[in-house]
Parts: sequence; structure tokens; C-alpha cells
Amino acid sequence: MPVITLENVTKRYRSTTILDQLNLEIRENTITGLIGRNGVGKTTLMKMIAGFIKESDGELRVFGERPFNSLSVSANMIFVDDMMGFPDAMTLEDLLLEFNRFYENWDGELAKRLLKYFRLPLTLNHRVLSKGKRSTFNAIVGIAARCPLTMFDEPITGMDAGARSDFYRALLKDYLAHPRTILLSSHHMEEMEDLLEDILLIEGKGIAFHSSITELQEKFIKFQGKENVLKQYANQYAVIHRTSTGPLTEWIVDNEHTKAELTELKQAGIRVSAVSASEAYLAMTGQTRGGVDDVFDTMEYE
Amino acid sequence: MIDMDGEKPIYIQIAEWLETEIIDGTLQADDKVYSQYQLAELFNINPATAGKGLTILLDAELIYKKRGLGTFVSADARNKLLTKRKDGTLRRLVQELLNEAALLGLQDEQLIELIQAERKERS
Repeated sequence: MPVITLENVTKRYRSTTILDQLNLEIRENTITGLIGRNGVGKTTLMKMIAGFIKESDGELRVFGERPFNSLSVSANMIFVDDMMGFPDAMTLEDLLLEFNRFYENWDGELAKRLLKYFRLPLTLNHRVLSKGKRSTFNAIVGIAARCPLTMFDEPITGMDAGARSDFYRALLKDYLAHPRTILLSSHHMEEMEDLLEDILLIEGKGIAFHSSITELQEKFIKFQGKENVLKQYANQYAVIHRTSTGPLTEWIVDNEHTKAELTELKQAGIRVSAVSASEAYLAMTGQTRGGVDDVFDTMEYE
Repeated sequence: MIDMDGEKPIYIQIAEWLETEIIDGTLQADDKVYSQYQLAELFNINPATAGKGLTILLDAELIYKKRGLGTFVSADARNKLLTKRKDGTLRRLVQELLNEAALLGLQDEQLIELIQAERKERS
């Protein structure tokens, strides 16, 4: 049984529709990367699933229940973001004790060991932590809670490079030992893509892609070469995205070609390679560097 | 599977890494192969991705499953792989060599001389 199901779920704020008629199933014990450009409704979707806000229309089920106002969803779910607020008077140690009381699978030993590793003294107050340290603490809570449904909304905000890769590694290790359903949103897809099984891409108020990460990668292929050489093949391939940096032009095209075509391209001096999932994502949403280059190119021609 | 030079999808890299382990004898016939969870931990990747790498070897019958015990190296895996690499990887490298030679305007004789010279240096 899927952990999360959405049937025609819509979310409106007053007259503005944020998410329109979503249909979605999230399988148990998968790690899904929730991606999309700023303001497409990733956080709104997560908060609806968490039961923090109400869906406007449609049927939303988490563990078979409507999450809004559901105590059992609350107890089996954790939603980690940088807005997590705690009473000022409590130290980190006090907070750990409270989590132990609320979350059934809470691993206090692990939490303490991780806090020590990330140099977060138990005697500190949550309020005095720096941005990066606060994100780290929240992320540790998200891991140690071992909730059947664990959601992280931009968990790495403010963390330095070392802390980010340590966090992803810690999450993976704990997931391998204690599988659970994880939803993870981040702008830095290249840093988390190895960790993911599925990708959920939100665009234009709906779901633009939901499948395995390898499927996303294999939708496209990358050509690199001189522009005048590449141009000869312009009619042969569906070019999704083009960028030029210096003398080299790069095309991301639909991954449909024969072996003979590949050999021909290579003989013409074109480098053919696979794309990473984040490149595929950037190409699909038009976020690659070429976008800005185009602004300057048009100026030259005018 | 696509034929590519550049960066490859991770599950293909995993499959190739396992193949190399078999070719160089680190993994011998009937040795137990890493589980998808061990591979996930080793390479810091999702276990489903690691599983896809193992599936490539299973489909090619380079490894076999024993119920409840895990996955093991097939008896003829190394021979199969040697043939595959000769027909596949080596041939691709030769193609690339010829592309480069054409760019530089080199004749076959000159290439052979280069190979022989390189051999001499190594012996």
C-alpha cells in the first residue's frame, strides 16, 4: 500500500490556485526528491501531507487517513524545515527528552552521537544557534525520530559543504538500517541525486515528472561540439536545451538515436555523454546558464 | 544499454565496477557478490540504484541468485566478460583511436609503430 495518495488534490489560497488536481502515489520505503523552481508549491504540498494545512479539494490520504488534524499521522510523521521553533527556555538536551516522549522510534543515543559529531553542545539553547547549526540540529532530529514518513524541506539551508555531505551520508546510513518513506526537497539537486530513488517534479501547478531517477536521466543525452558541426544535425534531434560556453556548444536532446547515428556523431568530433539527473531537471525547467546568455546574444543582434 | 564515453549513469558505473572486480579476480567464481545494501553504503547511493546495477549482471547471467543466501559469481563470468570487453570496450577504444588518427592525418603504419614503441617502453 502506498504511504501517500493524492486524488485530484487542489490547494487554493483565496482565489489563487497553487496546486491543481494532483494525482500521486508515494510508495513505502522510497526516498523521493521533491524538486521544482521557487514558489511552485513544494512546501505547500509537504505541509498538506504533514497535515499542517488543509487541502481545498480532492482526496489526500497519508497512512490511509486524512492528515489534517490527525494525531496518528502526526505521531508517525516528521516535517523538518528551517521554521521549526522551540520554546526559548529549553536547551538541546531538554528538546531531546521531549522528542523521546513523542516519537515512538526515537533513537536518543544516535541523536546524541550525531550532535557530538557536529559539535552541538547539549547545554545550548536552540535560539542561539547559527543558521547552519540550527539546520544541522533540525536535520539530526529528522533522522533520529525514525518516523515512518520523514519529510525534509530544504534541510541543508546554511550548512557548509562538509555538513551537507555528512548529513546526506548519515541519512542514507540510517535509512539502510531502518528503511522508511522519505521526502526531500532541495535546490541543490546535484548534491542529493545519488541518494534518491524517485524524482517528483512540480511545475505549472501540477506534476511534470514522477518516476525513478534513472528514468529521468535516460530521457536525455548530451552532445558537445563546435556549433557549426552540431548545426548539421539540428533537424535530426529534438533539442531540449542548448548552451554555449566559449567555443563549445552543448545540446541536451531526447535520448532517441541509433548506434550508427552515434558513431557518425563521434566521427564528426561530437562528444556524446549521459546527463546527470540534475542536468536533466535543469534542462526540463529551462534553468541552464544559456538562459542568461541569450539575453546578451539578442542584444548583439539588435 | 546506450554506448557512451562521458559520464555514465551510476547504476552502469556500479555494474562496470563489479565486472572489473570479476575480471581482475577479486571476485572469483562462486564468490558471494555485494548485496545492494552493501553497494549503497560503499558508494553512498540509493539501494534501488545499486540494485539496478546488480540486475544488469543478473540479466547477463554473470551472477546468479541463491534463495535466501544472496548473489554469487557465475562459473563462466570471467570468460564472458573478457570476450565482452574485447568486442565492446576495446573496439570502442580502437574506434576513438582511429578518429584521433584521422584528425591528425596519421596512417595505419604510423599507428602500429606507435603501439610497438609503447610496448618496447613497457618491457
